[in-house]
Amino acid sequence: MKEFMSKKGIAIAVAALVVALAAAVTVAVGGGRTGFATLLSEPFFKPLRGALNTLVGSLEQTYDYMYRYDEMAAENQRLKSRVAELEQEYREYTEISEENERFRKLLGFAERHQDLKMEPVSVVSWTASNFACSFTVSKGSSAGVELYDPVVDENGFLVGQVTAVTPSSATVTACIDTSAKVGALIYETGATGVISGEFELFEDGNLKFSYYGDEGLINVGDTVVTSGTGGRYPAGLVIGTVTGLTVDASGLDPYALVEPSADIRESTHLFVVTDFAVSE
Amino acid sequence: MTRTKHRTLVKLLILAPYLILLYLFQATVFTRLTVFGTKPLLLPLAAAGVALFGGKVEGGVFGLFAGMLTDMACNQPTVEFTLLLTLTGLLVGFLADTSLVQGFPSFLICGALELLACSAVQVFVLIVLRGAPFSVVAGIALRQCLSSLLFVIPFYYVSRFLGRVM
Repeated sequence: MKEFMSKKGIAIAVAALVVALAAAVTVAVGGGRTGFATLLSEPFFKPLRGALNTLVGSLEQTYDYMYRYDEMAAENQRLKSRVAELEQEYREYTEISEENERFRKLLGFAERHQDLKMEPVSVVSWTASNFACSFTVSKGSSAGVELYDPVVDENGFLVGQVTAVTPSSATVTACIDTSAKVGALIYETGATGVISGEFELFEDGNLKFSYYGDEGLINVGDTVVTSGTGGRYPAGLVIGTVTGLTVDASGLDPYALVEPSADIRESTHLFVVTDFAVSE
Repeated sequence: MTRTKHRTLVKLLILAPYLILLYLFQATVFTRLTVFGTKPLLLPLAAAGVALFGGKVEGGVFGLFAGMLTDMACNQPTVEFTLLLTLTGLLVGFLADTSLVQGFPSFLICGALELLACSAVQVFVLIVLRGAPFSVVAGIALRQCLSSLLFVIPFYYVSRFLGRVM
């Protein structure tokens, strides 16, 4: 106590008292909000505190990041999986939606042609030949597909005919192939003839309509449909539209150029007509 | 296992996957992808390569299967290409065994001739059996050869590599 009350001790106590008094005065003068020490130190400490707070904040974030890295990585992985799931669901939805649309169109077509029995198929592969237009479809004789069955798209537009069958697949020769021949007629006028694929028209994907009788019965824009003659195709399937009237190389035989209604080379999902009422 | 049997097995293990891979490319990618408006024929070029760098027997056997697969890829009975690629495989292999130098010029000539032979047979069949106009089918055939010949360089290196491995 004696030591404590030495000159130094007394000086410190006096200093503390002065500080306390100064603080009390400044508080009283300043409206009781801030002491003089705070006022004096604020310009110096404020930026330091700010810098320190920023540093601590950064360190805290780094610590959080390190501490929670595994947790965040796991969450990231979960989110990625979820995104993949949603993408897959979206793809499936789109696929189903497209399929639904195809079946809706087919339903409309099937309602108009209730005599037709159809089997949905998908195109598996196309021919590698540059001189033919044929493709393989996903179903064969085990699904009721038979040789010479007609093949249509979802709108009922003629695409081709089955020309080879195995139990699990079938080869379809498109109507633009140079070996194809279909009995046809002009829907508007009833003019009859034969639709065939030609080497000269093959690359453009067009057809030749060789007709019998009066040329005046055929006009550009007319619709060509199957006539049902011969019994291999049902009557009334839309083949295409007349785009021009011309003559062959000899200049003797007139014929009409026909653009197929079906987008044959882009076909992916089609229908094999496995049974129909013969109109003859 | 004798040395001969072992070599045959090695050749089979090398050439069979090569052939299947080419067929898959031919029947899928190159039925949709066109060059100069035509689909390139890969298997005849591959058959020429195997015959040149492998020899007569390899060329003939590979040509036989390559021909069958080409006919299948073209959705046609296994006749045209099966016969043609077998015969040309044997011929190119024989020439390689006896007189041809195994280099790029020889491969280019053999490949081009093999493609021309394929196209010529196709054109001939179409004209004789289907009455196709020569100018139209010859034009397509020529473009088919040119589009296929674009692949001559990769096929040269692959064939040369296979020849060395066999």
